[in-house]
Amino acid sequence: MKHRGPHERSLRKRLLVVVAVVVLALVAWAVVTLMWHAPIAPAPPLSRAFFSVERVVWGEQLAVIGNCSSCHTARNGAPYAGGVPMETPFGTVIGSNLTPDAETGIGIWSEAAFVRAMREGIGRNGQQLYPVFPYDHFTRLTDADLGALYAFLMTRTPVHAEEPPNRMKFPFGWRRLVAGWNLLFLDPDPFEADVIQGERFNRGAYLVEALAHCGSCHTPRNVLGAPKRGKEFAGGEAEGWYAPPLNEANPSPVPWTVEQLTQYLRTGIARDHAIAGGPMQRVVASLAQAREADVAAIALYVATKMGSYSEPRLQNALASLRRAARPLASTPAPTGDAQLALGASVYASACASCHDLGRMQSSNGALRLPLAVALYDADPRSLLRIVREGVIPEEGSTGRWMPAFGSALTDEQLTALAAYLRRTAAELPPWPELAKAVKESRSP
Amino acid sequence: MTAPITLQLNGRSRQVNSDPATPLLYVLRDELALNGAKFGCGLGQCGACTVMIGTEAAFSCLVPVGVVGERPVKTVEGLGSKHEPGPMQRAFIDEQAAQCGYCIAGMIMRAQALLERNPSPTDAEIRRHMAVNLCRCGTHMRILRAVRRAADGLRSRT
Repeated sequence: MKHRGPHERSLRKRLLVVVAVVVLALVAWAVVTLMWHAPIAPAPPLSRAFFSVERVVWGEQLAVIGNCSSCHTARNGAPYAGGVPMETPFGTVIGSNLTPDAETGIGIWSEAAFVRAMREGIGRNGQQLYPVFPYDHFTRLTDADLGALYAFLMTRTPVHAEEPPNRMKFPFGWRRLVAGWNLLFLDPDPFEADVIQGERFNRGAYLVEALAHCGSCHTPRNVLGAPKRGKEFAGGEAEGWYAPPLNEANPSPVPWTVEQLTQYLRTGIARDHAIAGGPMQRVVASLAQAREADVAAIALYVATKMGSYSEPRLQNALASLRRAARPLASTPAPTGDAQLALGASVYASACASCHDLGRMQSSNGALRLPLAVALYDADPRSLLRIVREGVIPEEGSTGRWMPAFGSALTDEQLTALAAYLRRTAAELPPWPELAKAVKESRSP
Repeated sequence: MTAPITLQLNGRSRQVNSDPATPLLYVLRDELALNGAKFGCGLGQCGACTVMIGTEAAFSCLVPVGVVGERPVKTVEGLGSKHEPGPMQRAFIDEQAAQCGYCIAGMIMRAQALLERNPSPTDAEIRRHMAVNLCRCGTHMRILRAVRRAADGLRSRT
């Protein structure tokens, strides 16, 4: 073995130091390029005439399908002027002002800056946006559609409105952390059509996956708030409401048809299925302004995802239809169970006048509850929220109405009612931890 | 024949022989001659029928009398009389908050529920809380001032 002199040892040491420095520099460079993005220079104000009317109208159609207003138009606020608080497990993010105001909106954003925000989640000034803004869907939007959305937003009335600051939990106030999220979860690939399927299906797929971002609520999320891989449309949640699965696990007792889904998405009610409640009301209010052909394409794609019903499920569907054919209140309450008896009496006095007797006259066709999807959900949150808060269209907008019973019923009565409906209308085993869910459904 | 129902109403125990599905509003007006709460829409959309059940304001047109149970019910008659109006009623009189007056009993009861829970609400809290009760005459601004006055009066007494 060759003897190593002191000179050689110090050479090795120096070499090691050099390698370490190079590696560290590489890591630092990677971190910096991931986390730091250059601001995009302010763009000179564009006159409205710069955008063709066709492009603006096209962009408006996309904006209503993307339901931008849910997060960017506050209640009683100016359109797209921001200010809507969105609660997330990481803190409250306030929807930003999308009007072309130079100081508080996107008035100085070039189209390139807008496209970068939509596809990469990076604001014009180079800072990371939070993924509650669904840029992880918008990556799949075409250049032409992004251009049309830009044209639509840049021709809105500018509103000078500074949204209040986000209220993030430690350490999520440090936006650069989102770079790590993007590295792990952001899929930058464009939308790919399914060549086997027809044009309408692919239109629906594109609208659902790229623009309408249905998966934001209907796909479960992991601890970091990213959609769980391989669980697309397996059911998630939105603002304390249960967002049911839109795949084969969809709980509707009667299979959704494309026609019924289209009607639901455009009007908020489908006779044999459901009434839109909670956050879905805003989705419907927005989709009501979209072209029917686009909504029908969305419905076709979603109905296809739900798949066809197996023989046992079809048998269950028939059983539900049979139960729905007679007044629920005429079904004898199971004897010997005090809770079910209480539920039956609450149903008879508070619900039956619209949902059973005189259904068509009194309420323009309240749902027959043995067909109501909310009773078949894996958890009771949506039913509880609908009973408590009702279905009340926002001021100035039309829509279906159900009164709120939150102050009429005690927690005990609500629990009993939900247990009774689950048992007699859905004929399913009781929801576990129903009483706890009732307590949690109480609005703060 | 249904079993009689006992209501804890304005601090007294009252018995009625109504069907449990009868809206509380009808029982108050038709059986007990408490005509303060008004029938407006019958759908919980206007608030003219608002009373307090327990600590909450509720649309009495939507509440079946059978679910009230032991929770105390308070109507505008429970706050004071024509000759001795309570503080909330006094504030509404002082601000001349009523025009036709049809909504006012409901407005007063909704405001009462707010102040019993939160004696010093902000103006924004008052607006948010009162938003579900409608006044077709358009005296909302006076109504808001009356609630503010009642809240300030409460605070200055404590």
